Amino acid sequence: MRAALGTFVHARSGDKGGDANLGLWVAHDGSTAYDARVAWLLGLVTPDFVRTLLPETAALPIEVFALPNLGGVNVVIHDLLGRGVAASTRFDPQAKGLGEWARSRLVEIPEELL
Amino acid sequence: MSGLDSAGAPIRIGNCSGFYGDRLSAMREMLEGGPLDVLTGDYLAELTMLILGRDQLKDPALGYARTFVRQIEDCLGLALERGVKLVSNAGGLNPAGLAAKLHEVASAQGLSPAIAHVDGDDVRSLELEGALTANAYLGGFGIAAALRAGADIVVTGRVTDASLVVGPAVAHFGWDPTSYDALAGAVVAGHVLECGAQATGGNFSGFLALPDPARPLGFPIAEVHGDGSSVITKHDGTGGMVTVDTVTAQLMYEVQSTRYLGPDVTTHLDTIRLADEGPDRVRVSGVCGSAPPERLKVCVNELGGHRNSVELVLTGPEIEAKAAWVRAQLEPRLTASSVTWALGPVPPPDSDTEEGASTLLRCTVQDASPEAVGRAFSSAAVELALASYPGFTMTAPPGSGTPYAVYRAEYVDRSAVAHTVHHADGRIEVVP
Repeated sequence: MRAALGTFVHARSGDKGGDANLGLWVAHDGSTAYDARVAWLLGLVTPDFVRTLLPETAALPIEVFALPNLGGVNVVIHDLLGRGVAASTRFDPQAKGLGEWARSRLVEIPEELL
Repeated sequence: MSGLDSAGAPIRIGNCSGFYGDRLSAMREMLEGGPLDVLTGDYLAELTMLILGRDQLKDPALGYARTFVRQIEDCLGLALERGVKLVSNAGGLNPAGLAAKLHEVASAQGLSPAIAHVDGDDVRSLELEGALTANAYLGGFGIAAALRAGADIVVTGRVTDASLVVGPAVAHFGWDPTSYDALAGAVVAGHVLECGAQATGGNFSGFLALPDPARPLGFPIAEVHGDGSSVITKHDGTGGMVTVDTVTAQLMYEVQSTRYLGPDVTTHLDTIRLADEGPDRVRVSGVCGSAPPERLKVCVNELGGHRNSVELVLTGPEIEAKAAWVRAQLEPRLTASSVTWALGPVPPPDSDTEEGASTLLRCTVQDASPEAVGRAFSSAAVELALASYPGFTMTAPPGSGTPYAVYRAEYVDRSAVAHTVHHADGRIEVVP
């Protein structure tokens, strides 16, 4: 069913020069579906998935690094912030809110994970 | 010396600052809140170096984080009485200047702490293209040497944020430069601590689970063991919480792959294991490290130019046409080399509040010269006040424009950098 990515996924985002960094991982909320949720998230998040989730990144180089030991992925979105925090004219020049925007987006989540 | 194991007493390392401007009272709170061996503070972000550089242009004795001096004025006696060593990168562009200032502060209070400083990170002399500031990220072995020689306070320039934790752990356990797993474990503890309350519930998407949200978030502590493993915790009775999720949040922050490159060790982030070890205690173990990169990373700031912006409020019907008109009016008046427009979401019709019927149109200008973004820009915007779209107003009148920096990373040979410890007794030691 369609539900917000943040239903059981946490996020933190920030800047590194002109690149944005976005961590996504499955919350330790006591659910018995934790392992299945992690497997789903690791399979779901690819550069193209991120480009669809966050359309403003559609034209940018994106890398995804799996961190199964932390139950999530680290996403690097290159050049989102132009020439870095001080120079960027972007509305959120340090990408602090990027993770919460990602969490608010609706995605297809298998019923058994909810 | 405890050797490379997780048995034996850990060293308790706290943090009281995640950036220049963090909670001023945190140093006192951390000293009074419970036992600590070392209290660290990070004051340097990429851009902070430029802010300090501008301070130093005005007064060559400055160039360090001045809030740290105020904290020491308030807390020096307390730290000495409790035997807590203070380690911080507040020296910024002028660690020697900060050390001199701290001597003044101490003697005015009749105290005589052993103060060491670490420098050599400043590589402006290499004349990297366009660099206003250029600082190599140093590791923790300079801090370790200073502590082992008996320093009560160690101030540094640009060391990596994690080095503030790695250094005290190296000093305590006697790790050598190839104790890669132990060093990597300490880097992870340092990375968790470096952003202060971001490890205890700040900037955390699970904030709804925080107990007693009115209480200020406590700052984090790492109990580091002889094998580099650690327990992340905080003082009893402070706000916020330490859970596997709050620690994961900080581990996911500002990393760029599964390898975290540092001057002392390459940390393999895919080997970290986190485990809940009771209320507000998370164990970090299993971290593997390998040899660090050959070259050192350098934080370079160059002057990008000058910028200014204005936000126009657009209300009611025909929002897009209003935006187009004011843009057509303003653009021919602008001389800045870069002009960027951003229109907020168009409000839905029939809003029952004025704010709900409104959106913002932001115009940002950038140019090499301050004049093009100064009065030339602000006057052009203000002069439209009675001569543009219906309902013209601004969130604030445009100011005089500000210079901005552009950050980039460069890499230099280790031999180009003299990582230098100025011991409290005046002895000078260069660390490999």
